[in-house]
Amino acid sequence: MTTNKHDEQAYQYIPGMSRRESLKWLSVLAASAALPGLAACTPSPTTMATSSAGHWPDLKLAPISASGYGKDPNLIVPPTSAWPRTLSAEHLSLVAVLADILVPRDGDVPSASEVKVPEVIDEWVSAPYDTQQQDRPNILASLVWIDDEAVLRFNRKFVALNPAQQLAIMDDIAYHTDQENSEFSRISGTFNRFRQLVLAAFFCSPQGTKEIGYLGNVPIAGDYPGPSEEAMSHLNQVLTELGLNDYAYIEPKSAQL
Amino acid sequence: MPANKHQVLIVGSGAGGAMAAYELTKAGIQVLLLEAGRDYDPLTETPMFKRKAEAPLMGSGNKDKDFGFYDATVDGGWTVPDEPYTSAEGSDFKWWRARMLGGRTNHWGRYSLRFSEHDFKGKSRDGLGADWPFEYADIAPWYDKTEALVGVCGTNTGLDDMPDSSPGVLQPPPKPRVPELLVAAAAKKLGITLAPMHRAVLTQPLDSRAKCFYATNCGYGCSIGAAFQTTTSLLPMAKATGKLEVITNAMVKAVDTDAEGKVTGLVYIDKTTSTEHTISARVVILAASACESARLLLNSKNAKHPKGLANSSGQVGRNLMDSTGAGLGAQIPLLRNRPRYNEDGHTANHLFIPWWGHAAQARGELNFPRGYHFEIGSGFGEPGAWVSGDFQGYGKALKDEAKANYGASVSFALRGEMLPNDDCYMEIDEQVTDKWGIPVAKFHWRWSQHEINQVAHGLQTAKDLLSTMGAEVGELPAPEKAILKGGEIIHEVGTTRMGESPKDSVTNQWGQTWDCDNLFVMDGGVFASNPHKNCTLTIMTLAMRNANWLAKQLQTGAL
Repeated sequence: MTTNKHDEQAYQYIPGMSRRESLKWLSVLAASAALPGLAACTPSPTTMATSSAGHWPDLKLAPISASGYGKDPNLIVPPTSAWPRTLSAEHLSLVAVLADILVPRDGDVPSASEVKVPEVIDEWVSAPYDTQQQDRPNILASLVWIDDEAVLRFNRKFVALNPAQQLAIMDDIAYHTDQENSEFSRISGTFNRFRQLVLAAFFCSPQGTKEIGYLGNVPIAGDYPGPSEEAMSHLNQVLTELGLNDYAYIEPKSAQL
Repeated sequence: MPANKHQVLIVGSGAGGAMAAYELTKAGIQVLLLEAGRDYDPLTETPMFKRKAEAPLMGSGNKDKDFGFYDATVDGGWTVPDEPYTSAEGSDFKWWRARMLGGRTNHWGRYSLRFSEHDFKGKSRDGLGADWPFEYADIAPWYDKTEALVGVCGTNTGLDDMPDSSPGVLQPPPKPRVPELLVAAAAKKLGITLAPMHRAVLTQPLDSRAKCFYATNCGYGCSIGAAFQTTTSLLPMAKATGKLEVITNAMVKAVDTDAEGKVTGLVYIDKTTSTEHTISARVVILAASACESARLLLNSKNAKHPKGLANSSGQVGRNLMDSTGAGLGAQIPLLRNRPRYNEDGHTANHLFIPWWGHAAQARGELNFPRGYHFEIGSGFGEPGAWVSGDFQGYGKALKDEAKANYGASVSFALRGEMLPNDDCYMEIDEQVTDKWGIPVAKFHWRWSQHEINQVAHGLQTAKDLLSTMGAEVGELPAPEKAILKGGEIIHEVGTTRMGESPKDSVTNQWGQTWDCDNLFVMDGGVFASNPHKNCTLTIMTLAMRNANWLAKQLQTGAL
């Protein structure tokens, strides 16, 4: 699942490049702490608890002051960088690793980082709008918490952990139940929002849209064909299971057009 | 400065203004139309087929683009730059505006349901609100003409809430889709009938406009003209007569009157130069939207019209109504992992739930006086910034869960009739002006118990429908919490209502103001009530009928 990301050398996500491609470049870039143009806002040092229980990062995030794309943007050629990105290179890499744990490569279907999910997350948390500004502290706190937890448990940042270590942390924070361990309740809540964003960004990508089975946005020359035979046969099964067979829709006696 | 050759000035290029321009120019009358927004060309500006992935933030909405990045609205939405509005303390009203040629018709839902005699005569039936000053039979031929011109798909159903169109008027509706068919069966078990939605979308070609090809969201605008908007139909048709001149970026500030109080023309600000201009004509038509036209009248007060122009009744700004709105949805477990197919259709409801409660209301079985309909939310929509489901874990199981949830939810959006009440109105906020120095609108709003009871009934019905489809629905929200804010359904009407008498209405049945015979209102402001059926078709129908009447007055010299 997370093969070749657990070397001593921490993995570096490179925007505009899939993780597979970027790993090839890893040795070249190994020495660079951050790529030019990134790392506009690195979260401040965090407050650490002595044990893994109950710690929470005390982030001091610089406010997002950029303006948005305005009320009359070009819809034909949408802006690609309407506001500065704020995730550090380190956090982009962490997002990539987490995103690929959430949505790993699956046969021919690419993983989240392969369809540029980290860049969508970066665009999202850097955006100057209410929804995104509400998400930003939660997403960033999740990232910092996960690295803090990794260091507390294994003395290394999350991306440098081996898969078993990474999943040990995931198993603690990726599930929320009624009887959840309270020490992970806060992180599992904020991580859940991160997970939703990763899923959305994945399925919104061209490959993800294909994977979920969206077949629309294709011009049809004649009449709209309606449901396929398979879809209708499934519907009829559903009607049977619900005892609704006798109530199936009948077209109104059209007014003899 | 345009030459003073125009007989009629129209303010606004949306549903009412463009229809008036079309009807008048067709009759040979010279028209000058002023639009506060910028010029807009659907051919080159519509993001046809554009994917959410190509847009910032996966196309999701925000304060710049409230309905998503690709929504056609230009320089508008819930806020307009430099043009604020205010709300009284305790009131929370939202006002959607567009500042573009064609106005809100570029992005509207295109739902086009006729009002009925039942709708027009509510007061005669239950004593509430106001009757309209005509019969359904008077307007039925104009509905036919409007539907034929606009292009409306749908079917005659014979249901009491859906008056029939004349044979040959409606275009065939598209086939219903799986979730709609499931809702139809569940509803039928509960004694409720679904019907094809009537929608201003071409399923057959009409004049120079192409038929729908069942792809790309109508809210983005429609460059092929299949989804109706005035910028691809009425405005070019009116321009083709050679009788229409349009000035964009023209923010009208006031209606001009002479010493006798007769309307002489308009004062507007050219937004590109910030200069003020005066133009005159025999007749002025306001079609700037219900609240913008009322604002204009109230801002045009003078010695002869101290309460505002055409406001001797005191009704300008009063009787502000929106549709009620509320929603309830759930995942239908049996729809999980259902077979995929192209479910775009014409990108909105193929079937909907018309109001079924006429008889129950007549028997006194319901604790609210006016009806509602349900629009159905469902389908394999284009993935965007939100994923349906309550997720656990990671890896393939997580992805499979998201795929199983896709297209498995059904929601019901209630759209209901509200009654006018004394707490819902707009006035001028004397403390605040917009960038152009024009005093702004101030809103007052409070739902009455009628609407709350209606929403409670709707929520329970939606829950019954969802349960019948096998969904788990938890406790319902309180109707006071579930009802949307005033203005949020964007069906605001009533602020210059028409009626039988100058005492309690602003215009007669022709949209002609009682106080000034050469001043007309042809937008939603003239609605005497606000039936649950979406206002645009009736705005266009009234504008066509009343502009036709006005043309005759001008031709016979009566005006």
